[in-house]
Amino acid sequence: MERQYWIRSKPVYTSLLWHEKATAHLVIAEGDGGMAVLKLLQQKYPTQQVNGFFVKSPNALKNYADIISSLAPAEFKVFGNTTEALNSLKITLADCCMGTCFYVAGSEGFIWQVAKVLASVGVQDDDIDKELCGTLARTVYCVHCKAITHDAHHSVVACSGCQRQLFIRDHFSRRLGAYMGLMVDAEQPGILPSIEEVYP
Amino acid sequence: MNQTFKKETFRDDYTFSNSPEAVKRFPFPFHEDEYMYSVNIEPHVKTAVGSITEFTFDIDEHYVAECEDKAITLANDPQRYLCLPHMMDAQWDTLELMMESMSNDYPEQFNLTKEGDNWTWVNKPLGITTKFVFGDESSLPMEPLEYIGRQVQGDWVMLDQRDNNLFADGAIVTSQADWSLAIDVGMSWQEWHGPVPIANEIGVFDRALKYLLNLQLGSPVRRLNWTMTINPRLDTSPENYPIWGPDRLSVTPENVGDKVHLRVELQTLFRLPRSNGMLFGVRGYLISMNELVTNPLWAKRLHRVLKGLHPELAEYKGLSYKDITIDWLSKYDDGTSSE
Ligand code: HEM
Repeated sequence: MERQYWIRSKPVYTSLLWHEKATAHLVIAEGDGGMAVLKLLQQKYPTQQVNGFFVKSPNALKNYADIISSLAPAEFKVFGNTTEALNSLKITLADCCMGTCFYVAGSEGFIWQVAKVLASVGVQDDDIDKELCGTLARTVYCVHCKAITHDAHHSVVACSGCQRQLFIRDHFSRRLGAYMGLMVDAEQPGILPSIEEVYP
Repeated sequence: MNQTFKKETFRDDYTFSNSPEAVKRFPFPFHEDEYMYSVNIEPHVKTAVGSITEFTFDIDEHYVAECEDKAITLANDPQRYLCLPHMMDAQWDTLELMMESMSNDYPEQFNLTKEGDNWTWVNKPLGITTKFVFGDESSLPMEPLEYIGRQVQGDWVMLDQRDNNLFADGAIVTSQADWSLAIDVGMSWQEWHGPVPIANEIGVFDRALKYLLNLQLGSPVRRLNWTMTINPRLDTSPENYPIWGPDRLSVTPENVGDKVHLRVELQTLFRLPRSNGMLFGVRGYLISMNELVTNPLWAKRLHRVLKGLHPELAEYKGLSYKDITIDWLSKYDDGTSSE
């Protein structure tokens, strides 16, 4: 949400679609990302092996874990938190074959945590399909104190580290999995713009 | 060359100024009365004696003071140097290029002796002598890019070339015009240029990237970029925006001449031999409005360029004090030709 032009570091998210030419498929979803998984399951199911990881979230609209488990032909491993899921994912990745396609769905914070794990085994960002689900909440990196603030919903957020009021720029660092946060009232301390809920 | 180095500061009391010789060689960037982004890239060839491109790397009267300012910035924020692990070859490439060029071009200031991989580097202005083993990281006090980057004016970004694109995978950045290395490191060409208005729409970025991907070893290129800065401050980083941001509101009709500076970046690009990466240099030159108007043609031309500047460029560059500056410059513009 910045000026009139689109900052090209801002990720674009799409709808998950099976890639027919893959050698195997790895689906990793969280919370409302369950909906994206259900939409995948409505498409022609792949002939290759599918591995699934699902993280339950108290914020999700529905208990997607149960629905997925009853519908999915492949087993979806279900986890209570992201850390456990990522640890298990790392083990699975160790014997992933070349040509595996990756599908990730959930909040933006979740998507980039997964992307980081995938990057550590050499999977390129462009080769991961990502669907943003449930919330537009942003993760923000404060350029002043380097703290990360999670779940920002408004155009301006208080930094969890230095308490400065940060304007959230559309400039997104994949390395940090976060948007650039910049002190909004640096030029005139105390003078804040109107603050709007833009990332519900 | 017998260079004397000025004692001056780029923060707090801001004692920086240019000698008349430095004003004379200042890289005034406008060759007409209007400005828009373009693919203004040309071969980085050596030019007239005394000019800023007489040598590969320009060491001028501000050298020592700038290196000191750089050291302060790095001490306050070590993350102004960041480098991804796969860039070690490019780091050594960079160190070699800089040491060889500087010792060849300024033999009275810098000296490099090699016995096989055992190198000795002497930097007289900064009082540094280092013996090290080329290619052996443990033989230097810090990583090679940070080591040599602290001894060369300007900011240095190393690019990795892959997938027909460039990635800013390592850099030392202490005098940037408002962009953050912590945010940008690892980004692709399109990502780090994301915040720039208009240039993408008019095709500048696509054409420039295509040109750069074919950059040849031994045929570096250069371009000029410009912005404006309040006070002669090198560290106008987003990190320290709370420190320098308020200065923008301190400009009055009375202090324009002292406070407002034109900041020109000589940007150079070199292909690197071992890594096949690239080195991108941003070497900044500052000049106060008082110094600039000692050249009547520059005064007229800057007045006209600012008057006609596209509002999106003015906003992007943060020129909230543009109108006060135009008013101040207008007394130097009699409407006659600026050629
Ligand atoms: C390959 C090395 C290069 C790097 C690492 C680099 C990096 C950057 C960065 C970090 C910015 C600031 C963006 C922001 O606001 O966050 C920028 C601005 C810009 N870059 Fe580059 N750049 C490179 C080469 C080029 C080239 C060859 C061109 C040629 C057209 C170019 C054109 C521009 C323009 C027009 C701007 C806006 C500058 C302004 O208005 O002040 N860049 N660049």
